[in-house]
Amino acid sequence: MLSIPVSAQDKPLLAVEGLRVQFPTRDGVVRAVDGVDFHVGAGETLGIVGESGSGKTVTSLSLLRLAPPPARITAGRVVFEGEDLVSTTPARLVAIRGRRMAMIFQNPATSLNPVLSIGRQLSEILRWHTGIGRKPALDRAAELLRLVGIGDPAARLKQYPHELSGGMKQRVGIARALLCEPALLLADEPTTALDVTIQAQILDLLAELRTRLSMSMILVTHDMGVVARMADRITVMYAGRVCETAAASTIFDAPLHPYTRALLESVPRIDHSYSGARRVLPSIAGRPPDLLHPPAGCRFHARCPEAVPDCARIMPREISVGPGHTVSCIRRGSPAETELAA
Amino acid sequence: MGALHFIARRALFSVALILAVSFALFGLINAIGNPVEIMLAEMPGVTDDTIAAITKYYGLDGPFIDRYFAWLWAILHGDFGTSVIYNQPVGDLLQIWGIETLKLQLPAILLSLALATAFGVIAAMRQHNWADFSVVSGAMLGHSLPGFLLGIVLILIFSTWLGAFPSYGAYSTRNMLWNSLVADGLWHMALPVTMLTVFNTATLTLLMRSSLVDVLRQDFITAAWASGLPRRRVVFGHALRNAFIPVLTYLGTLFGLMLGTAPVTETVFTWPGLGALYIQAIQQLDYPVIMGETMIITTMLVTATLLTDIAYVALDPRIRLA
Amino acid sequence: MDADLIEAPIAAPLAEALPTRRPPSGVWRQSWYRFRRNRAGMIGLVLVTLVVLTALIGPWLVAYAPDDQSAMLHGASRQAPSAVHWLGTDRVGYDVLSRTVYGAPTALAVGLGAMLIASIIGVVIGGIAGYVGGLVDEALMRMTEFFMVVPVFVVILAVVRLFGIVVVGTPLERVPNLNLITIIVLLGLFEWPSVARMTRAEFLRLRQTEFVEAALCIGTSRRDILVRHILPNALPPLIVLVALGIGGAILAEAMVAFLGFGDPRSISWGQALFFNYQILQVAPWTCLAPGAAIFVTVLGFNLLADGLTDAFNPRVRAG
Repeated sequence: MLSIPVSAQDKPLLAVEGLRVQFPTRDGVVRAVDGVDFHVGAGETLGIVGESGSGKTVTSLSLLRLAPPPARITAGRVVFEGEDLVSTTPARLVAIRGRRMAMIFQNPATSLNPVLSIGRQLSEILRWHTGIGRKPALDRAAELLRLVGIGDPAARLKQYPHELSGGMKQRVGIARALLCEPALLLADEPTTALDVTIQAQILDLLAELRTRLSMSMILVTHDMGVVARMADRITVMYAGRVCETAAASTIFDAPLHPYTRALLESVPRIDHSYSGARRVLPSIAGRPPDLLHPPAGCRFHARCPEAVPDCARIMPREISVGPGHTVSCIRRGSPAETELAA
Repeated sequence: MGALHFIARRALFSVALILAVSFALFGLINAIGNPVEIMLAEMPGVTDDTIAAITKYYGLDGPFIDRYFAWLWAILHGDFGTSVIYNQPVGDLLQIWGIETLKLQLPAILLSLALATAFGVIAAMRQHNWADFSVVSGAMLGHSLPGFLLGIVLILIFSTWLGAFPSYGAYSTRNMLWNSLVADGLWHMALPVTMLTVFNTATLTLLMRSSLVDVLRQDFITAAWASGLPRRRVVFGHALRNAFIPVLTYLGTLFGLMLGTAPVTETVFTWPGLGALYIQAIQQLDYPVIMGETMIITTMLVTATLLTDIAYVALDPRIRLA
Repeated sequence: MDADLIEAPIAAPLAEALPTRRPPSGVWRQSWYRFRRNRAGMIGLVLVTLVVLTALIGPWLVAYAPDDQSAMLHGASRQAPSAVHWLGTDRVGYDVLSRTVYGAPTALAVGLGAMLIASIIGVVIGGIAGYVGGLVDEALMRMTEFFMVVPVFVVILAVVRLFGIVVVGTPLERVPNLNLITIIVLLGLFEWPSVARMTRAEFLRLRQTEFVEAALCIGTSRRDILVRHILPNALPPLIVLVALGIGGAILAEAMVAFLGFGDPRSISWGQALFFNYQILQVAPWTCLAPGAAIFVTVLGFNLLADGLTDAFNPRVRAG
């Protein structure tokens, strides 16, 4: 149920509506993603933020229907370039993956095939999507390695992943994603596994590339610093649902949802003086809910400093509170959502 | 390069191992007692003088080290001595009977590798549904069923009751099948090779499936799917290339297992191979055959292990350097 | 006042939302729960229990003594199963059911005996190698490789035969079931390398874990670390290996006996197969009974080992 006004310029590149992803397990059904809406425009970077278990990784994987079995998409639409990827044919999916929408992964050490050379892994993808010959494919791969800042690409093509450093492997991963100049890049925690100095380099690289290739990006992370730097708009997720979506500046300057506020408060800042006799860093009390038996009502109510008794009964529906700014909280005016049978 | 260095070290170690085994073998045989005395112990009417004379004739009365090196030297030149029972050069016997053994084991290994790959892929791709369950159950049964018992059952069903296959020997003594040596040979090979293949396939299938399941869970496979590669390419080009490594390296062990239990296999089917030769030699105390054959089998096992190591290095680039 | 109003509603929902938790059960109990859910493992446990019960109680329940050859005297050997002899008679008139039941204690003796020897030697050597390391480790590892390259089965045959001859005329000859004991000892001697290898690997791994480092830091004695920290954690894979090894040893003895190198005076399934193989085609029950017994026993231990592996190393299994 899309209640967000679409921006005036054009239809969004990607529009996710009411996405639900579930994992049937021996002990019951885990509702990892339980009714998620967001969209990404052309040339725009959306940051999806949340704790571990918020469902953000499952969401990003589900866009390309890559969530590992036994995950199943049980409801919703993922409309990409006018096509609903949830209901489309496998043949169309294969044509879109790696070509129109591509992905980079969190752990560079494990996202490259250890027994194949870099050149082989890159050229294979090119040749499959465009049918060009071996030599031209390798040339193009070398070109891309240069684009992502790897020197002496010809030598690198012959090497194996274990011969490269972590930062270099991640650059190769980025090159792999950009081989066919996709319109949308999905980046799942691209810098979490890297040293801090390399993190900065990779983020700079991504920023430069998205401008150069006019690419949209979805950046999934738990690191507020990363989204502050890279995202145009931010979606905050908690326990499988979206809490708040707004422009980056709005999220940081004027967050509305209690969870967003708590999240921002818990980020240690040099320019804050933590008052109080014990000088304790603020954190959010309690634990994320059990997704096997999620609580009735708002998912965050048990840890929310502003909760009222109604919060335990009513699942809030998304409501627009400003241009491009939506919130799901009954204390900010959200009406109740009639739960769709899932 | 690291790879060559690694292989050279392993090869040298293999040679040392074979020499060590030869020494242990020779020592053990000697520790047990004078072979002549033992062989003739079960024969009536033999005096100590006779034993001494024969011992001297065979040069068995010299110091241990001299005898050991003499024997080793002869072995290295391919002279395994003469069989006491057959009165033929042991080397010839090993060759003739050895081929019969290989006739069973090589087809069994190749067949089982092909079948296990097929079953393993089916089971891993369809995890947790009935196809996976039946493959795994079948494999567990096949792996736990002792080979020789399966052989007995095969004989009962296909030879005794159905009369479709022969139950003993490598060739028919009369009335060759279709009057062709090849056809007759294959006909006799059918049951024993089936018996060996079942166990091997079961074991390899379990290994292949678990290896493939592990690999399919890896990030780089998700990345391959995300790059839009088709299913066949991801499974065979990416997943299997990784999953195959532990399976291929296990082949060496499997070969050793088959060779080690050849006596049993060949007794069940009365097959004239190395195993049967060995049993005869032990029962009738044919020392030259016992020693020669033990050395040959050990060499084959060590070679299989070495080839396994080489295969591992060839397949996994991570080992090549370092 | 307003603050109070807001405080109260929070307290209540919070208390409801947090479920009460029982104290978590220990590692062994958790493993047992997981084992119970593993079908293969439970079947294995049932089969093994069956064999053990047969070994313990069976001999009291069978109708005929295992060495009763009276059937042969009135021409009733090689008889198919009937009301008189439930599994028929064998080549020399023995009651097949009785021989099969009496084979169970022999099999268990072989399996447990061999693995006991292998475990004691293997754990000691592997433990030293893994904990002390260095040259001792190197030497021990080369020794295990030596044992693994030797064609075990074939050597056992040779040693059994030669030992049998050597012993003639010595006081050892009068030891009852000497042949069987020899086989058990040999099986144990050839099985210890795999136990040693595994023990060494576990000790190496555990030696480097953080909880051992922590124990060292607070001054726990070496002996205490070994006994209270490392040993209990190294136990699970050892148990699995022992389960597999028992099945393997029983199978090995059956094969040795089947080839005629067994102990003719012991009652074992392999021996029964050896006695009756010649009449397989005319009296299949004589071979099928001991054969089935071997299969059930080995299968039981294999499934048990499989279930234990799963129970000790849970993998995330969904759906």
